Amino acid sequence: MSDPGAVRLHAGESVEELREELDLSNRKLAEAHKMASLGRLSAGIVHEINTPIGSILSNNETIRRSLEVLRKLIATAQSEQQPLPAKAGVILETLSSLTDIDKLACERIYAVIRSLKTFARVNESDLRKVDIHEILLNTLKLSGCVFRRRVTVITNFGDLPEVECYPGLMNQAFLNLVVNAAQAIQGDGTVTVNTRQDGDWVEVAITDTGSGIPLDVRKRIFAAGFTTKPIGEGTGLGLSLTREIIEDTHGGRIWFDTELGTGTTFYIKIPIQQPRAQEQA
Amino acid sequence: MNQDGNGQTQPVVTIVDDEEMVITSVRAFLTLETEYDIHGYTDPEEAARFLETHPIDVVVSDYLMPKMNGIQLLGKAKQLQPEAARVLLTGHADKQSAIQAINDVGLFQYLEKPWDNSQLLLVIQSAIERTQLFRSLREKILELDNAHSSLKDVQSRLLRAFL
Repeated sequence: MSDPGAVRLHAGESVEELREELDLSNRKLAEAHKMASLGRLSAGIVHEINTPIGSILSNNETIRRSLEVLRKLIATAQSEQQPLPAKAGVILETLSSLTDIDKLACERIYAVIRSLKTFARVNESDLRKVDIHEILLNTLKLSGCVFRRRVTVITNFGDLPEVECYPGLMNQAFLNLVVNAAQAIQGDGTVTVNTRQDGDWVEVAITDTGSGIPLDVRKRIFAAGFTTKPIGEGTGLGLSLTREIIEDTHGGRIWFDTELGTGTTFYIKIPIQQPRAQEQA
Repeated sequence: MNQDGNGQTQPVVTIVDDEEMVITSVRAFLTLETEYDIHGYTDPEEAARFLETHPIDVVVSDYLMPKMNGIQLLGKAKQLQPEAARVLLTGHADKQSAIQAINDVGLFQYLEKPWDNSQLLLVIQSAIERTQLFRSLREKILELDNAHSSLKDVQSRLLRAFL
């Protein structure tokens, strides 16, 4: 299998064909990175689903047994012409609260599945007008599975119009930044997501209360293959791909503010409207 | 402590899991099937404080929790109440980390989530039985020791009387 990054020049191949090959390679790389992200999230997702399922299974069994006990209590009371003992009331109350919990548990499972479906959608490669907040919320829900207890998420959403973009790629970009933000935080902390409109642009700021980016790392942070994580953890492609998605694909800008010991904010700015199809060179 | 109809104190079971719904489900099930005195905690630090002052028969803990994990909590439980049985409830994803630490903490059993109610009940029942057996054993040994000391005391006095 040839290196997807390599571009071979054939006799007579036009610049346009080369450009198409490059686009295709980029798409393949983004797709591979997306799958890798999903893979890393999957342990958290499994745990997130496992818990409500455990409750539902247990409650279902308890409800079944409770009904048996109730049946006997009723039968006994009837045959002896006695009122129902207090235990029957206790059982009924427990049954009621268990079914409430089961409902919450099912909703929780469904929420995770919905986020996954949205993220995994293959046909999100078309340019569409979307609600950026919806994409952000979906990203937060998915990544939340991994660090929900440790990291508090705060959202300050401004009034945004629909933005024309590639939703799948934006999802990917946001996921990268949010996961990086959470990983920058040692122990407990906060990730804040602010959005606002700035004229013809939309700006998203993702702030973490992490350790900040050291001076010698700052210049190289967007370079492909650059990572501060240990070997095997992450590909080092996250920020470089994110930069490509924001700047090359969407014509936007990505930059950051950081302070050691306080935290980091990454800013993304993309145009609300994408320019009409480019003139062919 | 719960007392049943005969005035006997009921076994004390402590459940620790950061998920409220897990505690509710286990508590509901145990309340239906047993007369145990059940204490649930979503905060492992609070659970540890409870263990400092309340004698228990068995502690069941989740592994992945904020502030301290299940192995750390059960380690504390071992220090505070070595006779009480320790059970770990693990999600599949954290099984490896749990297994590595099992020997350090002296687990009675570990169960995987999602658990089966009847299996959980069996484990808790066995755990309580074991704890109570250890307690009686310790008490019997103490009694024997005391009896032995008294005997030795009588023996030396007898010897002195005759020498």
